[in-house]
Amino acid sequence: MARVKLENVTKQYEDVTAVDDMNLEIKDGEFVTFVGPSGCGKSTTMETIAGLTIPTDGGIYIGNENVTRKPPKDRGISMVFQNIALFPHMDVYDNISFGLRLRKYDQEEIDQRVENAADVVQLEGMMDRMPEEMSGGQRQRVAIARAIVRNPRVFLMDEPLANLDAELRVHMRTQLQRLHRELDTTIIYVTHDQAQAMTMSDRIAVINSGELMQVDPPLTCYNEPNNLFVAGFIGSPSMNFVEGQITNSGFESEYMDLPFDPETQGVEPGQDVTLGIRPEDVYLEPTRNQAGTPSKTYDMVVDVLEPMGDEVFVFLLAERGIETSADEMGAGQLLMSVEPDADAQAGQDKQIVIDRDRVHLFDSETEQAITHGLK
Amino acid sequence: MSTDTQNDGDSGRLVMRPLNRLETVSEQVYAYVLLIPAAVLLGFIAFYPLLNTLWFSLLGDDVFSPDPFGEFNGFGNYADLLAGEAQLPQQFLDVGLSGSFPFVEMGTPFLQQALFVTLAFAIISVLFETLIGFGQAYVIDQDFRGRRWVRVAIIIPYALPIVIQAMIFYLMFNPTIGWATDLMQAIGVFGDNPLASSRDSFFIVLVADIWKTSAFMALLILAGLQSVDRSLYDVAKVSGASPWQQFKYITFPIVLPALLVAMLFRTMDAMRIYGLVDATAGCEQVPSMTCLVITALQGSRRWATASAVAFLTAIVIGLLVIVYLIGLRGSEGGVA
Amino acid sequence: MSADDEHPDLAAMEQAQEPDLDRGPVEAWAAKMISNPDRAYRAMFYTATVFFLVTTLFPFYWLFMVAITPGRELSEVGALTPGGFDPTSFITIFTRLPFHRYVFNSFLIATVATVIVLFVASLAGYVFGRLRFRGRNPLLLLVLVTSFFPPAAFFVPLNRLFNTQVAVLEPIMSEGTLYNTPYAIFIPVSAIFLPLSIFILMTFYSQIPDGLEDAARIEGTTRIGALFRVIVPLSAPGVATAGVLTFITVYNEYFFSSLMTDGRPENWAPMLEGILAFQGQYEVDFHLMAAASIVAVLPVAILVIVAQEKIVSGLTAGAVKE
Repeated sequence: MARVKLENVTKQYEDVTAVDDMNLEIKDGEFVTFVGPSGCGKSTTMETIAGLTIPTDGGIYIGNENVTRKPPKDRGISMVFQNIALFPHMDVYDNISFGLRLRKYDQEEIDQRVENAADVVQLEGMMDRMPEEMSGGQRQRVAIARAIVRNPRVFLMDEPLANLDAELRVHMRTQLQRLHRELDTTIIYVTHDQAQAMTMSDRIAVINSGELMQVDPPLTCYNEPNNLFVAGFIGSPSMNFVEGQITNSGFESEYMDLPFDPETQGVEPGQDVTLGIRPEDVYLEPTRNQAGTPSKTYDMVVDVLEPMGDEVFVFLLAERGIETSADEMGAGQLLMSVEPDADAQAGQDKQIVIDRDRVHLFDSETEQAITHGLK
Repeated sequence: MSTDTQNDGDSGRLVMRPLNRLETVSEQVYAYVLLIPAAVLLGFIAFYPLLNTLWFSLLGDDVFSPDPFGEFNGFGNYADLLAGEAQLPQQFLDVGLSGSFPFVEMGTPFLQQALFVTLAFAIISVLFETLIGFGQAYVIDQDFRGRRWVRVAIIIPYALPIVIQAMIFYLMFNPTIGWATDLMQAIGVFGDNPLASSRDSFFIVLVADIWKTSAFMALLILAGLQSVDRSLYDVAKVSGASPWQQFKYITFPIVLPALLVAMLFRTMDAMRIYGLVDATAGCEQVPSMTCLVITALQGSRRWATASAVAFLTAIVIGLLVIVYLIGLRGSEGGVA
Repeated sequence: MSADDEHPDLAAMEQAQEPDLDRGPVEAWAAKMISNPDRAYRAMFYTATVFFLVTTLFPFYWLFMVAITPGRELSEVGALTPGGFDPTSFITIFTRLPFHRYVFNSFLIATVATVIVLFVASLAGYVFGRLRFRGRNPLLLLVLVTSFFPPAAFFVPLNRLFNTQVAVLEPIMSEGTLYNTPYAIFIPVSAIFLPLSIFILMTFYSQIPDGLEDAARIEGTTRIGALFRVIVPLSAPGVATAGVLTFITVYNEYFFSSLMTDGRPENWAPMLEGILAFQGQYEVDFHLMAAASIVAVLPVAILVIVAQEKIVSGLTAGAVKE
């Protein structure tokens, strides 16, 4: 167990900056997830903590020790990899005990520890199987056993569930949380899947283009995103964004306006802002009471319905004939989620309201958040 | 339970310290450090001698001094070799221009010119080795009982030391012991003493080489054949392709890159033929390029000329390699 | 064919498709063959197999016939029969000359050269196969170019180098030179056959996933440790191929083997010199040379029998495919 500190960590390759001046402190025993789109630098950041990549600049501390130029084997860390990376030429026992044998523990202690680790991940009786004889989930458990058997100070997990099928992934997710509770070790977890990040972590570090966008508990990232990137990345389906301008009477855009007093919201008339509202904070007119502070009513047309079982995604258009793109939501489009029994059919005209308490305003230029919920 | 960092006192040993330092150097530095053993070995045994030989090739011969090198001679040795005027029992290249068709004439017989005899040997041997090797590879690629032993039998000539290979064929064509000369004379191919005739000796060396090296080709082509995805054949069968069509449209195109690589290696080897010639017919009968180097070294102590021949050989091989690389680029999946 | 066995349904479809093949001007004979093409191809296949077996094995058989013919009756050797019967040649070769010593010399030289080549080529193959660094391609080309040169191109400078007295060597070598020592053979052949192994191992090592190397380093090896504990064992077919090819090539090597010693077995003369030593000044004992050859071929023959499957799979997975 130990805290981990990144101090101005930068990793530059010949033409790209993979990690840009990263500062981060992870507390002892904390479960922190690095999340971001692929290529954002989250894996590189983890590799610098592991010692597999030496940062161009900056320092890395584990406990109180500067490990920036220490080889991986001397950092007291262990790691679980995306492609599982079991040694194919060794059986389960040899895989799990590899690190202990390298460190010349005596046989008795090795056996004891391997047994304990196998116990934790429920691998009893599989000690002499070869990796190729095991299922994906079993291999993943071996990889985790290999990582916990050494009692590492810090656990690194690089997309450990990415190669598992959906059902197994959900199951392993709860397993990992239980593991964290039992071991009480610092865990750093990398994923591009924000659902994993939301469900497991104490805090999420959202990373984009090598830069740290926000480090906060999952719900904080969800409810009070620091900027447009975090707002768009966290949450599925994504938050709706409406680009517009502040006038003396509030927010105005091509298809939508929202009256408020600019002064109380900390914005100035003439400022370009982006309004954000999550799909679940949009309501059909008849259910307007469910919103904390319902807004005015907007007239919309139902474009497409996507029933998900427990909820229905309704794609709305501000008026008929708006061009829609397959890739992203454009101007005049809005996504809402409603109860499965809600009355909505494709092609219908519908009136909707949004929850003023759940409206986010972002500065369009700096992309930083201005306010969460209208006052 | 203790955490594991407290337990690695072992890594503090003296040997580990430089290795630990290597852990954190950049990839660039690390690469160069690991290349040191190869660089030392190749440097002393290959690059240094080659540069030395290059320098020797630019000197004159001085056959009577203990260190038989004379004054700096520029490209004189090369010029002599290419003009057929080298002071050697056989010439590297000896052609002149003539007024009538085919406008070139041989200063000495074709098979007594090192460049031609070596090229002829390389082309003919590689051609036959490829064809036979392909046939052999096709056979041992099939599934049948006893395939393991057929495979061993077909590959084994490749493992034969040159000196033994040479001796087998030397004895076979030895007029008193062997039976092959009688046979060849009976069908009118050979003269009285084949091991003393350029043409017959060339043939013997060729047969000996094809016998042994087809196995090597078979090995490399077999590797190519085995990398063909078997399900392609099922697809072909479903669409009604005959075995010949399967070969033509599936096997051959897929094996082609491997085949060209195998031929490249073989050509490079064939262009450097020496041991087999030396131990069968002798360098007088079949003066290959490497033979010429040895004759100049040992026979007449013309070390400078020998060095020049060695470099000319490398240049010719380099040119052939370029031809192959162009061919490989043309065929799909070629060497990068 | 195995494909038929595995996919009876496909074979059935093939049958159904066959009448289509009869299109076009086909002669009666061909039509018959086509109506039963499997049989025709099987016949061709067996013919070819027998032909290749006879042509590759016959020279060995004949060499054996020469070896068991008494020395005086060599001219009686036929194409298929010996000139007499006297298997004592196989004993004489060890009594007249210490032929076993020659074979031992060759065996030792080949083994040491193989170990050196595998070690050095592993490091270089790792670098060229797995690391990104400036100068990779020019260096690789430089390695390739060395194999353009005939061994003779290295000979003069090396011969001088190995005949130079080096003071440091004097305590170890009798005359302070490398001539007449095994070093004079295995050092140059190691260097000359190094490039091939570098190319084979490079291809293999590059195919091992990065994650395994990273995992080994996290678990407690150094980078070099990861190479020898994980990458090399996982590339076993490639390492075996490179090793067997190197061993065979060195054992069979002609040029340096014939020039770097004075031919005496106690001066590390290799097997080649042993065979040639039966060429006396006045008479040549071909039957002894033949017997010696058969003995000398045994180590490599056994190696091929044991390792052939590895070599084929090794070459399949790597080297040639690149």
